Order: sequence, then structure tokens, then C-alpha cells
Amino acid sequence: MIRFVVKRLWNGALTLAALVTLTFFVMRLAPGGPFSKNRKLSPEVIANIEATYHLDEPLWMQFGRFVWGLLRLDLGPSTRFRDYSVGDIIASGLPYSLTIGFWAVIVATTVGIALGVAGALRRNGFTDYAAGTIGVIGIAIPIFVIGPVMQAVFALKLSWVPVGGWNDGWRSLILPVIVLSLPNIAYISRLTRTSMIETMRENYVRTARAKGIGEWRTIWRHTLKGTLLPVIAYLGPATAAIITGSILIETIFALPGIGRHFVDAALNRDYPLVMGITLLYGGLLILFNIATDLVRAWLDPRLRHDG
Amino acid sequence: MIRMTAEPLLSIRDLSVRFRLPEGEAVAVDGVSLDLMPGEVLGIVGESGSGKSQILYAMMGLLASNGRAGGQVRFQGQDLLSLPPRALDRVRGQSLSMIFQDPMTSLNPFMRVGDQLAETLRVHQGLSRDAAWKAAVAMLDRVRIPDAASRARRYPHEFSGGMRQRVMIAMALLAKPRLLLADEPTTALDVTIQAQVLDLMAELARETGTSIILVTHDLGVVARLCDRVVVLYGGRVMEEARTETLFDNAAHPYTRGLLAAMPRLEAPLTPRLGTIPGTPRSGGGDVSGCPFAPRCPDRIDICTKARPPMRITGEGRRAACHLVEEAQ
Ligand SMILES: Nc1ncnc2c1ncn2[C@@H]1O[C@H](COP(=O)(O)OP(=O)(O)OP(=O)(O)O)[C@@H](O)[C@H]1O
Ligand code: SF4
Ligand SMILES: [Mg+2]
Repeated sequence: MIRFVVKRLWNGALTLAALVTLTFFVMRLAPGGPFSKNRKLSPEVIANIEATYHLDEPLWMQFGRFVWGLLRLDLGPSTRFRDYSVGDIIASGLPYSLTIGFWAVIVATTVGIALGVAGALRRNGFTDYAAGTIGVIGIAIPIFVIGPVMQAVFALKLSWVPVGGWNDGWRSLILPVIVLSLPNIAYISRLTRTSMIETMRENYVRTARAKGIGEWRTIWRHTLKGTLLPVIAYLGPATAAIITGSILIETIFALPGIGRHFVDAALNRDYPLVMGITLLYGGLLILFNIATDLVRAWLDPRLRHDG
Repeated sequence: MIRMTAEPLLSIRDLSVRFRLPEGEAVAVDGVSLDLMPGEVLGIVGESGSGKSQILYAMMGLLASNGRAGGQVRFQGQDLLSLPPRALDRVRGQSLSMIFQDPMTSLNPFMRVGDQLAETLRVHQGLSRDAAWKAAVAMLDRVRIPDAASRARRYPHEFSGGMRQRVMIAMALLAKPRLLLADEPTTALDVTIQAQVLDLMAELARETGTSIILVTHDLGVVARLCDRVVVLYGGRVMEEARTETLFDNAAHPYTRGLLAAMPRLEAPLTPRLGTIPGTPRSGGGDVSGCPFAPRCPDRIDICTKARPPMRITGEGRRAACHLVEEAQ
């Protein structure tokens, strides 16, 4: 098991290194520089700016400088918000994105799994249809429709929750969390339901039934692990995506998270900021994939020995 | 119907298994009746699809969700088919247990082998964790799992096919059941170890006084282990006889076909059924005549029109064929 963990971590580190390299060069190869949009500048000013941001150095030196900075967790200054470092900008937005993302993951996982299990156990029963309906709504109707509709109903009409912003404590969280978790509830519940129905058809579950240990124990001890493995595989990347904040959610609900900076940065060719956010997302993705692998290996002894 | 000297342990009367399908109903088992005496080993033979497994699943309450069983299965004074789930659970795994066709997929891959065995005892006999574990290890030792105490802590994927089937045997016999249903317990195993595993199963069952219904399509296995044989075709009983009688003097054309298809000189464990010309039918159902008629070399006119009645042809013998005479 220890070898397995070390191996996963090492693989994760390699992937991260590849990600760093790739992001750096793709950004640099994109046409235009960070300041090409601004009004015509004199050559001296451009040279000055390029010197400040080390854009006059050869590419490999810029890359070396970038990697060295990363190792010290220093992502350099943003080219757009000149007074802030990329680190500052990410640090200011991350807590909001993390809070909303954390709760959305919790809600999506618990509600999604519960609905899926209930649906699988009472196929075609009331819960199954209810879950199916939520599934269709959650997957078919995009966030930018559900979000404003919910704002209109629950915030403007009923005034139960604020329309947006971050000034009402936990009440500001409710709508964004619901809207962010809805598609995931839909997806997770469908995944859980299918997976559970499949697992209940497994020969080893039939063996458990044949042992006469009772329906409840059969489900709890013999079908749950098989059911959850594919769900956990989905949760890894999904968690990274939810936690880093949805650009749409943050825009709709006027939240100060990092999702919004990302679009901004990309449009303005703010290389350092784009790279910072990309690396953050990539790093989280790698981290949660490792976590997923470890949880799956913990649940499934067959996965422990493939390394 | 068979020997009236003692009370049978199991009596199946007119058992049927039907499956609901989009295109209608499929009958997999059609009016099967049989008796089993305590301590007896009964073989059920028949080609693939003849309904052997479904008979066992019906008894265990394990039919697929689109399947329904009809008739009666009297076991220890209760009709298994009409027992409520909780009452059935007191029988399953305790006095009635089953070994499945495919050892590779029949054990829970997420659970230690020892725990899977111990679970039965903990639930049925209320043993403590420790006591159940000790009993499980002892049982694994009896099915000759080497180093049972440490192997019990391993997971199924760390066992070979033969070892897994031994584990299944250990699990099935752990609670000393009165009746063991063994569904082709060795077909999935390497030929070289089939006899070994079967003998082990029979030996342990003898020790605990457990009766066995052994489903197989291997007549060699029947000759080796069974006291009596029921021959199944298209979900119906074709013939029943004591093993020696069946091999010496089969009454039914289908049985004779099976025996003729069995090479004589080879080791008795290798030959399989299925060399009778024609395609075996699966599911009996709405056949008005004899299900075997399309493939029967002795077929006469009436065979496709009237269902051959089951006739008692001698002491503990019966056959369903228009050509077979009732005993005087
Ligand atoms: N869930 C189901 N729905 C419809 N038909 C089924 C279902 N399960 C089994 N059957 C049918 O029942 C018939 C008998 O199947 P059964 O499994 O008893 O065969 P078998 O004699 O055990 O054969 P084998 O030697 O291959 O195991 C087959 O024709 C099969 O197609
Ligand atoms: S009833 Fe007719 S078809 Fe059927 S086995 Fe006998 S002779 Fe053959
Ligand atoms: Mg079968």
C-alpha cells in the first residue's frame, strides 16, 4: 500500500511538471503580447515594460525564471492589475470559491448518492421518479437559466435569500450552492442508481442473498462498495472543477471568487494570472485524482497491487 | 413417488419457472417433481438451457426479477416458495445452502475470505466475531486451503479458481446444512482438479450428513457421485432412475442419446453432453408434444401431438416417453 501511495504521488508530480511546461509554452506561443491591445507605445516604453516582465530574455530563461518562482510559490506580478501579484489575486478569490465549492460538493455528493440509492432500491417508485425529474432538470437546463430563475423566484419574489453578493453570511451561500450542485446531484444520482442496479445483479450479491443474511445486510455489506467505486471515480475531477469555482455561478451571483478573474485574465493576455489559475486548477485536479485513487484502492483490494 | 420407506427431506411438486419477457412469457422449468431422501446425492443432468440452474434458484428464492416460480417445494415441513422473506432467510445459509456455477465471480471481491465465511455464522448462530472467525478458519482448513489462518485474511482475487471453489464449499457447508445445492461446481475449473474438488465436497457432505443435489451436464460426474439421477430436457423431467440402472439400461431415447455421446474408454470426467444431433431446446413451455421430438431418432406420429405422460417403469424409476411401458 505504501508503494502504491508513493507511486501515485510521483505520477502526480510528473503530470504537474508536464502541465507547468505545457501551460507556459502554449501561453507564450499565443499571438500578441499582454500589452499589444493598449494604445501605441513608443519603443522605449515597450522595451522598458518587457524588461520589467523579463519578456526580452530568451524563452528558456523566462521558463527557468517561471519554474524557480513556482518553487517558491511566487507567480510573479499580474500584468493587468499591476499592483498585485498573481498570488495575491488568487488568494483573494480562492476563499470564496472554496467555500461555495466545498458546500456544493457536500450537497451534491450526499443528496446525489441518497437519491441514487433510493431510486435503485425502489425502482419506479416515487423517489425514483422524483430523482429522475431532478436529473433531467439538472442536466438539461443550463446554469445560466436555472440561476436567474431561482434568483427571480426565491430572491426577488419571495425574498428568502439575497440575489447575490457576499454580504449576508450563510444566506448568501444558499442559491449559489444549490445552483452549482444541481447538475452534479443529477449526474451523481444517475450514476449511483445505474451502478447500484448493476451491482445488485452481480453473482457475489446473489451469493450473499443465498447466505440468508437478510436484505438490509446484503445491501449494506455487499452492494455498497461496488456501487460507490464508479461514483468516487467521477467525484475526483468533479470536486476539482466545483471547488475552483464556476465562472458562470460567480458571474450570475456577483461573487468575488477566482472564476471571474480567469476570463478576465485570458481576454487580457495576463499570462502570469492565466498560468496561475490554470496551475491551481490543474494542481487540484491532480490532487483530487490521487485522492480518488487512494480511496478506491482503500475500498477495492484488487486495485492495491497494480503498482 | 420414489421410495416410500422414509420421509423425504425435500419434495418438489409440479415446479415451474416462468420469465416475463417483452415478447411474452418464457417457461424455463415446466412441471418438475422430485423427492430427495436424507443423506442422498441426487444428480440433475441436462444440456445447457434445460432449466437445471433455474430449479435451484427457484428453491433458494434467487430467481431473476422477471422470473416467477409455481408449484411447491416442501423442505423440512415448509413450502419454500410461499415463505415470507425473513422466514426464507432463516432457511437459506443455515439448513439449505448453495454452491454456484462460477467461482470466479461468486465471492465478494471487497471482503476478506474469512469474513465472508464468518458472516454466515454470526448472522445465523449469533457467534461472536472471534468465535465465528475461528470456525471459519477451521472450515477453510477442512477444505484443505493451505495455511488457512493467514489465507483467511486474504481477498478472493488472491485465490486460484480451484481455491475459490473450495472456499465456496467451505462457506456452504459451514452451518452444516441438511441440503446442499451444487450447481455445476467444477465446470469452470481446470479438468485436472475437478475430481479432487468434487470428492472433497462429497466427503465433507457425508461427514455432516448433508444431502446433495448436484447439477451437472457431465455424466462422468454423475457416475462418480450420485445415487440417483433426474434427466432434464426443455425444462421437463425425461427420466429418473438409480445411477447404475440409468447407465445399464436407460429407458428414455434422450438418455440413451446422452449415454451414446459419452466416449467409453476415456477418463469418465472429460466427456460432456451435447453431441446428440440437433440443437438442444431451452425452455419447455407451450410444446404440445414431447420436447425432444425434433431430435428423437425413435419418434413416432403421436410424439409431436400428445405430451408423453410420466410413467412409473419400475422400482424408483420413471420416464416420460410414448414408447416406454408402465411397469406391471
Ligand atoms: N432472467 C431470465 N429471463 C428470461 N429467460 C431466462 C432468464 N434466466 C434464465 N432464462 C432461461 O431459462 C432457461 C434455463 O436456464 P438455466 O440457467 O436453468 O439453464 P441450465 O440448465 O442451468 O444451463 P447451463 O448448463 O448453461 O447452466 C434458459 O433458456 C434461459 O435462457
Ligand atoms: S416421446 Fe417420442 S419423441 Fe419423445 S422421446 Fe419418446 S419417442 Fe422420442
Ligand atoms: Mg446453469
